Amino acid sequence: MRGRLGNLAVALAAVALCYAMMVTKPHYADLIAPIPVHATMKETVTARTFGVHVDKVTFARALQAEHFGEPKLLTTGGVWAIVAVSLSANSTSTTVGEAVWRGPTGLDYRMTERVGFSPGLPPHAVEPGLPKRGLFVFEIPSDQIQGATLLVAGRRFAPLDSEAMIAIDDVPLDAAGEPRDVVGIYNVGEPI
Amino acid sequence: MSAVTAAAPGPETARERRWRRRSLVALVLLVPVAFGEMSWSSVVSLLGNEDLVARDVAWGSSATFGGSDWRLADLKGGRGLDGLPANAVAVEADFAVTVGSPDLQNLWSRCKLMLVDADGRIWLPSSVPGLRLPEGAVSCNSAMFSGAKAGDVLKISETFTVPENATKTIRPAVGLGGERPYYLRFDRPPP
Repeated sequence: MRGRLGNLAVALAAVALCYAMMVTKPHYADLIAPIPVHATMKETVTARTFGVHVDKVTFARALQAEHFGEPKLLTTGGVWAIVAVSLSANSTSTTVGEAVWRGPTGLDYRMTERVGFSPGLPPHAVEPGLPKRGLFVFEIPSDQIQGATLLVAGRRFAPLDSEAMIAIDDVPLDAAGEPRDVVGIYNVGEPI
Repeated sequence: MSAVTAAAPGPETARERRWRRRSLVALVLLVPVAFGEMSWSSVVSLLGNEDLVARDVAWGSSATFGGSDWRLADLKGGRGLDGLPANAVAVEADFAVTVGSPDLQNLWSRCKLMLVDADGRIWLPSSVPGLRLPEGAVSCNSAMFSGAKAGDVLKISETFTVPENATKTIRPAVGLGGERPYYLRFDRPPP
């Protein structure tokens, strides 16, 4: 009788262990997810193929851009966040083409595709020994400004590659929760 | 009513001990073999995708690579072009390639022309505003689909943007899918 109870206990423990392993097993996408490299805005992040430093974050109500030579004004129900960065290639010519604005609650906002193509906009081709400046532009709600993180990677799907995660400095807000320093119209075509 | 009692395990026989030892020895062999077999395709894939081992080619010489004879025809630079950063130089590398095997789409797959410097930095082709390739020159990837026949001589050129301080040591190099992990690294033209 005692032996049977022992066997039953071992079987139950095995079932419990298997269940725990099953529910805690990471998803395959998590296993091959990009490897984060954390930093603040004061630091330059060195990822596997590139380096990035956030020079300035500007908020704007509208964007001035060009579409096939025609000027266009882009408005938003939220706010435009324009991040100016300095980029460098570590040892090989590379492209830095993906950025995400991660809000304080974990909501991710990919860089906008509304602006189109412009020399200062991604994808940014970077050559070794020739650092350059560029922009990443996001369209976000105002409540996603404070406590945000900028994610920068070479491309959108980069399994097991490194990804820069830069904590954005605190932004002074007014009583309505809007940034105090907000530009009316930001021209993305101007030199950075 | 009858009682059943489990028989107590008998003493270990010499045969059992012998097989236990054999099994342990087999594990020592089988685990590395299994690991190697599982990793083999990854290792082959890694070697087939990277330019790891350089084959140096003297200036003026040609080398057979990807079924064709590759020769560096010229390497020249240009400063002060519009659109270039202040400390950058536009470099053009010209190759003369005599086609041997015309199966370029297989032998030259993932063709990569590059510049490497003494520090191991690598520059890949980039379009340089205002710089046009020589008459009749094509890029490596275009040449793959040119329909070239054996004996044809292709002019293959690419442009690069490199920092001025690297121009003293940069050397053109060629990597082809059919030859990796080997790649050709050409000597610079004499000054």
